[in-house]
Amino acid sequence: MSGAYRVQKLIQDLQRNPAAAAEFARDQEPAYESYGLTGEEKALLREGSPPALHKVGLHPNLQMKFMRLKAPRPPGAPGLMDAYLDRLLGR
Amino acid sequence: MGRIVGGFGMSHVLFPPQGVEPQAGRVIDGMMEIRRRIAALKPDVIVLAGSDHLNNFSLAAQVTLAVGVADSFTTMGDGTPAATFPGHRAFAEAFARFAEPNGFDLVQMEEVKPDHGMSLPKLVVDPTDTVPVVPVYINSLMPVPPSPRRCYRLGTVLKQMVEQQRPAGERVVVVGTGGLSHWLCLPEQGRVAVEFDEDFIARMIAGRSAELAEYSADHIFRESGNGGLEVVSWLFMAGALPGAKGEKLFYEPIPQWISGMGGVALMPEAA
Repeated sequence: MSGAYRVQKLIQDLQRNPAAAAEFARDQEPAYESYGLTGEEKALLREGSPPALHKVGLHPNLQMKFMRLKAPRPPGAPGLMDAYLDRLLGR
Repeated sequence: MGRIVGGFGMSHVLFPPQGVEPQAGRVIDGMMEIRRRIAALKPDVIVLAGSDHLNNFSLAAQVTLAVGVADSFTTMGDGTPAATFPGHRAFAEAFARFAEPNGFDLVQMEEVKPDHGMSLPKLVVDPTDTVPVVPVYINSLMPVPPSPRRCYRLGTVLKQMVEQQRPAGERVVVVGTGGLSHWLCLPEQGRVAVEFDEDFIARMIAGRSAELAEYSADHIFRESGNGGLEVVSWLFMAGALPGAKGEKLFYEPIPQWISGMGGVALMPEAA
């Protein structure tokens, strides 16, 4: 498995597993270990800057998902489009 | 024969209005104008073309072109509340069957949960959840996307199918979603390619979409960003109304939203 795929697969799997995602939000290191990431890959993900995420080979869409996994929206926080929903839903 | 009675292109996301209230107001006004115009067209079917954001499709396999054939679809709820709306199995399957001898092997999707890329436009174009909607997925997210020319051509195949195979009097509206220029998680993020966007809209509403379809995907990617490539869905829509002229309904370059936000209407003659 190539490095870029391994890292991307980690993000995709977390995205589909709420329990694992909650654990990841608390502590990312066990997930990095279990996916066999290299020291460099872990360092780039820990840094988390756009250039670092690009260098580790994370697709832009998965970069956004990675950032959300690291810092989930608090429960009850407004959604991206909430300001428009009354009008869109006619309520 | 059925008829394509209208085509629309529109961005498929909204961001909080804080700090850009006037622009955000014009964008949502433009989207509501699209709603009003589609309601006036009284469609029997809406074909909604756009991309998935690695929510249904995955790293497991890249799907270039697909059509949702299910009787109903329930949206993911990422941005707009999860909702269930009717599909149109007979229409969608007829499209897949008609496309095959016309050069397109469409993946038929029974299980798909449309994400915001489809669900916001869906909410805009029919809040009543009563008009059957056929989602058409055009990959612009993962390598290798279909060429703009092929997307346009697929739209023309849709038009032919509607005219040759659908019941007399069936009224079909086609909506292409996504764009306009935006760079997501790339060094250019925040740039809006105003000149490219405005030229794209101007040529489309002048009935010159076939010219735009001659762009390569690489060209659109380079000039309007990885998100900008979503306009291939607009070209699919335009291909269903070849040569149709139209109207710009809104365009707002909003760097704070890292996007050029746009909407157009194309009207066939004698719709």
